[in-house]
Amino acid sequence: MLELLFLPPLAIFILSFFKTNNIKKLLPVISSLILLPTLLLLFTPNYHSNLFLIDNLAKFILIVSAIVGIGVTFALESLQHHVTIAERQYRRFYRFFGLFWIGMILSVVANNLGIFWVGLEFATLSTVYMIKTNNTSFAHKEAWNYMIVGTIAISLILFGIILIYAAAKPMLGEKAIEFLTLQQHISQIGAKYLFEIGFAFVAIGSFIKMGFFPMNLWLANIERAAHYPVAALFSGILESAIMSGFFRFSLLAKQVNESHLIGFTYIYALLTLFIVAFLIYRVKDFMRLFSLSGIEHMLLIAIFWVSGGYFAALLHFAAHAFIKPALFIATGVLESKGKYHIAGALRGYSGVKGKLFWLIVGLLMLAIVGLPPSPIFFSELFGFGAMVDMAKASHHLLLMFSGILLVLLLLALIFYKFVEIYQSMKYEGKEESKEVYASEVSALVLFSAALLVLLANFSAIESIIQG
Amino acid sequence: MTNFFIGMFLSALIVTLLTTRLYRLLFWYGLNSLFLGLAAIAEASYLGDREMMISGSITILLKAFAIPYILKIYAKRFAIERNITPSIRIQYSIILIPAILVFTFYLIDPLLHQSAKNFISISIASLLLSLLLIVEHRNIFAKVVGFLMMENSLFLLAMTATEGMPMLIELGIFFDLLMAVIIINLLLQREANNA
Repeated sequence: MLELLFLPPLAIFILSFFKTNNIKKLLPVISSLILLPTLLLLFTPNYHSNLFLIDNLAKFILIVSAIVGIGVTFALESLQHHVTIAERQYRRFYRFFGLFWIGMILSVVANNLGIFWVGLEFATLSTVYMIKTNNTSFAHKEAWNYMIVGTIAISLILFGIILIYAAAKPMLGEKAIEFLTLQQHISQIGAKYLFEIGFAFVAIGSFIKMGFFPMNLWLANIERAAHYPVAALFSGILESAIMSGFFRFSLLAKQVNESHLIGFTYIYALLTLFIVAFLIYRVKDFMRLFSLSGIEHMLLIAIFWVSGGYFAALLHFAAHAFIKPALFIATGVLESKGKYHIAGALRGYSGVKGKLFWLIVGLLMLAIVGLPPSPIFFSELFGFGAMVDMAKASHHLLLMFSGILLVLLLLALIFYKFVEIYQSMKYEGKEESKEVYASEVSALVLFSAALLVLLANFSAIESIIQG
Repeated sequence: MTNFFIGMFLSALIVTLLTTRLYRLLFWYGLNSLFLGLAAIAEASYLGDREMMISGSITILLKAFAIPYILKIYAKRFAIERNITPSIRIQYSIILIPAILVFTFYLIDPLLHQSAKNFISISIASLLLSLLLIVEHRNIFAKVVGFLMMENSLFLLAMTATEGMPMLIELGIFFDLLMAVIIINLLLQREANNA
């Protein structure tokens, strides 16, 4: 079953070497095939060996990222209409997309910490090349930037993994490299301090990769420089893979010293949110807006998770993974012909496709900040509930409450800016006619359908936590 | 013997931080990796660990000879600027380097019963020093060498603190290193085409 997961991306990789145009039409169909093994996995019992671990969390993340991957391959069909890109580069883009997907699946289903890391590194290096496909000097510069900063982040993660392994090895032997064994025995390990240093390295590495303090602008620059499907992949899949690692590692750290974990994550998150909120306030174009808000959502997921709001974190995670790629794909149309103005971006659509497009994009814009029917609304509600519960149980009630209040205040700032941008998109500026392609609309419809399915299945997410 | 080689490893890294010429930088990187590989082999013969012996030999072949050589070829082919003056002045670096070393020994101090305590702090120090190398240079190649040095400090940590990681992971790291070098080539090619 596990091998089947790797087949569709491998097929994309191989088919990208063929030079006919018909292959291009075939690729989205092939990528849809990945739903088959992921759904089959969903209904098979949990499984683990010394290399791979398929538990409920892995299944959930796999299915979320499979849907994102399919949506992105749909949207890739119309990439050539929005940016000038040679046929050869287009195929190469698909090739690296296949590699990226393989790396990501590897890191999500890994039980072995080393395999987790190798998958992550694989995914990172292949995105370097995907950024470079955009033929501008800005993209070259950012590809280099990504190469350096991304590999530093990944190296920090590996450094932490080695320290954790070193901390647990005297007790567990060679088995200390497995997530599951660590999970069962972590509270008994002797070298707690060493473990905590290791966790700090892992956490800083993954935070840098997700664009937290002090690397906030880094991610926004890269996503601006790349094509919009790359940005969709970043926010939908790559960050999911890293987040899954953070989930697992923070569960370990929780058993070692919970108050250190919470203090560390909260301080990091508050610093990040403080900067990000003001960066969002001054934002000038869509790509930056969405990538900065992606950072905000990632840090919300992280603090919900460490505060014990597992359900809220997973719900927020899935909702973000569906909404954000959809918005990134929509930027291709919103900024048609490379114009970055926000005013009037939701006007000038004609036909059924155009009407559907602006309706879905408008709703998603409001959903991402958490207006009520959106899953993000519920997850924030539950998440803040969990945070308050955790604050009440802690020894620093006043400090925790002021932290939570500050988070809420900064979120309100972001909410205000998003609503203002939405109004400007809908009611201001000149009306220009814009072209919408079927591939984009189908990707958007896919993502909104996934979002609705998510809304209807809260109990399924709850069962992930209990399982 | 391991102690000696690790000392040489650290000193090669410190000299790299003060270098202003590109080829010297590659040379010191090669020397740094050579000492790392030798330390691994010395440690492996002490522990009687065959896997570590193999990975030490691969380190010497790949990192001490192949990668500096490949990078030198790239530097020639793409006519990379060879004068690389660090943006942090030497006199400040000379204060910073011991500060980092002292800080890491202080950081690791609560680890009372760990046998490899000093080695862990040396590898964290070399990680931070390689980060300093990346930060202080504007030249892409110096940054790449900094990244490679970081890989070396990872290897040092894996070797000393854990008495050898599983072979699979070390092979994975080597594979990724090679892939990184290939990607560097691809990135450079585009820049050459554009110019």
